[in-house]
Amino acid sequence: MEPEVVNSEMLLPPVLPFKRVQMSDKYPKGHARGRHWKHLKQILQAENYASYPADEPNYLNIETPPSIYPSKKFCDITGYEALYIDPRTNLRYANPDVFKRIRMLPDDHVQRYLALRNAAVVLK
Amino acid sequence: MGSVLLPSTYGFPKQIPSPSLYSITRQEESIVVVGEKPKVSPISPSRPPKQRGRAMPSIWRPSRQADYDCFSSATPIVIDNGGSAFRIGWAGELDPRVTFRNVVQRPRHKTTGETVTIVGDHDPALMKYFDYTRTSHRSAFDSNVVYQFEIMEYVLDYGFERLGANDLQVDHPILMTECVCNPISSRSKMAELLFETYGVPSIAFGIDSAFSYKFNQQHGICTEDGLAVCAGVTTSHVIPFVKGEPVLEACCRTNIGGYHVTDYLKQLLSLKYPYHMSSITWEKAEELKMEHCYVALDYASELQLFQKGKKEAEEKTRSWQLPWVPPPQEEAPSEEELARKAALKEKQGQRLRDMAAAKRSIRISEMENELHGLKDLLQQLGQVEETEISSILSKTGYDSRQEIESAIQKITQSLRKAKGEPNETEERIDASLAEKYPLTNVPDDMLTPEQLKEKRKQTFLKTTSEGRLRAKQKRFEEESMREKQNQQEEEKRLENPELYLEKLHARYRELSEKVEQRKRLKTNGARTNGNQNLSGGVGRGERLNAAQKERMRLLTTAAFDRGKGEDTFGARDEDWQLYKLMSKDNDDEDNGQEEDEAELARVTARLQSEIQRTVPCSFAAGMASQSLIWLASLYTRDLTSFMVWIILQHPKDWLDIFLYLLHKLDFFEISAWIEPTE
Repeated sequence: MEPEVVNSEMLLPPVLPFKRVQMSDKYPKGHARGRHWKHLKQILQAENYASYPADEPNYLNIETPPSIYPSKKFCDITGYEALYIDPRTNLRYANPDVFKRIRMLPDDHVQRYLALRNAAVVLK
Repeated sequence: MGSVLLPSTYGFPKQIPSPSLYSITRQEESIVVVGEKPKVSPISPSRPPKQRGRAMPSIWRPSRQADYDCFSSATPIVIDNGGSAFRIGWAGELDPRVTFRNVVQRPRHKTTGETVTIVGDHDPALMKYFDYTRTSHRSAFDSNVVYQFEIMEYVLDYGFERLGANDLQVDHPILMTECVCNPISSRSKMAELLFETYGVPSIAFGIDSAFSYKFNQQHGICTEDGLAVCAGVTTSHVIPFVKGEPVLEACCRTNIGGYHVTDYLKQLLSLKYPYHMSSITWEKAEELKMEHCYVALDYASELQLFQKGKKEAEEKTRSWQLPWVPPPQEEAPSEEELARKAALKEKQGQRLRDMAAAKRSIRISEMENELHGLKDLLQQLGQVEETEISSILSKTGYDSRQEIESAIQKITQSLRKAKGEPNETEERIDASLAEKYPLTNVPDDMLTPEQLKEKRKQTFLKTTSEGRLRAKQKRFEEESMREKQNQQEEEKRLENPELYLEKLHARYRELSEKVEQRKRLKTNGARTNGNQNLSGGVGRGERLNAAQKERMRLLTTAAFDRGKGEDTFGARDEDWQLYKLMSKDNDDEDNGQEEDEAELARVTARLQSEIQRTVPCSFAAGMASQSLIWLASLYTRDLTSFMVWIILQHPKDWLDIFLYLLHKLDFFEISAWIEPTE
């Protein structure tokens, strides 16, 4: 190991005194290394929140529903308030200069701008 | 649910200022104000200004604390396990001792090959010793919930080690933060990890923003009723407080956080400057956001500021200069390259040609040999007497002299073809026909039975070969006719282009109408019949052109028993003449259709070639300064490339010339395509 790496103390030592079980014993090399960690979706599914009373807060029911108010429209390119929409591409724009830029955009840029708004056309 | 354990409910000393402080920094993670204090979040004034500007130092290696032993076993360790930063420190202090980015990397050392673990950020200069290709920053979090406890263990290892832990176990009670309504499995695994691996005596979990609110309330910064807004890295929470207690039933979470803000900034920058896409990384965007962005207290008015371009807007804009990278140039293949490639192709071509020539010469020599052999045989037959002929013939496998001669003929012909000489003319073949089949001309009664058999064979062969000749002739005639037609049409076109074009258009329209009509009849008939009468015969929808209708009519009337109670169709011979009537109708119909369609195809092809021929004519004239139509013949027929060139290059004064010419030739629709470019 190079001296400067050792000096910088950036590596985690393999054996630590205050641990009862070292990492190398817990996750022996060659095995799957405990890779089967459940992701959040699986954790939530396993939690089975339906069996709990519905008025108690749990991870799922504190999530907010989407807003009922209509959103303020902002220009996709500049971020100013968008007063107009381009009919060909459905991009929102604020003034004619931006409109010129929009018309000169290549198609994949248009789709990416729309994707930023979750408005892109997804072909399945 | 009992998951939120506020300090006051847990047997810790009442005053725990430190965890609240840590959680205050959480609110700064995604909303950073440069120079200005945000009026929304309460901040303790004792925080040093350096940390306020950068909640997440990008390269910060914490040093190992030396005073671990000074703290008694009763002093709790406080851990703020956040999605972006991990903070650890002693209870009762103002600031956490150790802070680092909550990610783990496991690169391989290049020379020794062992896999090492690096927690948090590291000095990029030391990257060269490690192989980072297969690793990436791994976080223990999925949204705001811990799910990967192996990584959590690495992080805790590092945290405790940096705090200076050196006992046999971590012998202090731990206060840990978690997300709102943390799933039980995640919490239990965390507790298991702390108890079993680190030997911690007791653990408490709490929500960081709640701690912060309580702290601020105790210090009088906010009242006992309020709203705690906590913006995290992947989620944001809003927790209402009533009489100092959090109302968890009313708290809300949105899955938008600092990560999404950075991502959005990154996408916007990449789209606006696609050339620099490689320089705009997520880390760079994060740095830009932290260092240079601010939260607007009134978004609409700030927007107006920037839109109107006032002076304050100028002050607030930043410019970032990226290093200039010359565009990648594709080298045109050098002369030597081209020469080499050409030589290679030549060689390959030559090799193929050689192979073909070798094959051909082999075949020729074979054929010549055979020819020689046959000629010898013939000579032999000529010299020898009659009786021995049959014996010789049986040896060679040929039945008669004529066969040998015909074989010789064939071989000489193919030899000639192989050698590349022109084929013999048809007269020669005609003559040889008569020679080949001598028996055909002799009348029947003069021949023996065997010769009769021969004769039948020969007549058959003769008729087939004659048929082939006739077919060839017909084809030749047809071709010559077509040539003549083409020539005629060319003449017509040259005399009077406009009239010719009009006639072509008219013919096209006629033919297309006829074809359409026929198609319509077929499908219409099928459709209506199907709709009306589903209970009828299965195939009825298909058989509905006029001929087939006729056929059906004939059949049904024929089968109709003439009142005798029995079906006697077919008893008399004349009945079967019915079928002769039917089939004739069918054939005519189909043939007529095919001819029409063929002609339609021809006419359309002609029209297209016409259009291609005439249009460049006019444009060429324009570019050659208003005259010299003969230049049109020099220009290609590729309309599109011509058009593109025009659009890109013409200066404004040519525009008038074009429009004038277009006017003259009545191509009004094309003029709309030309757009002046600036």
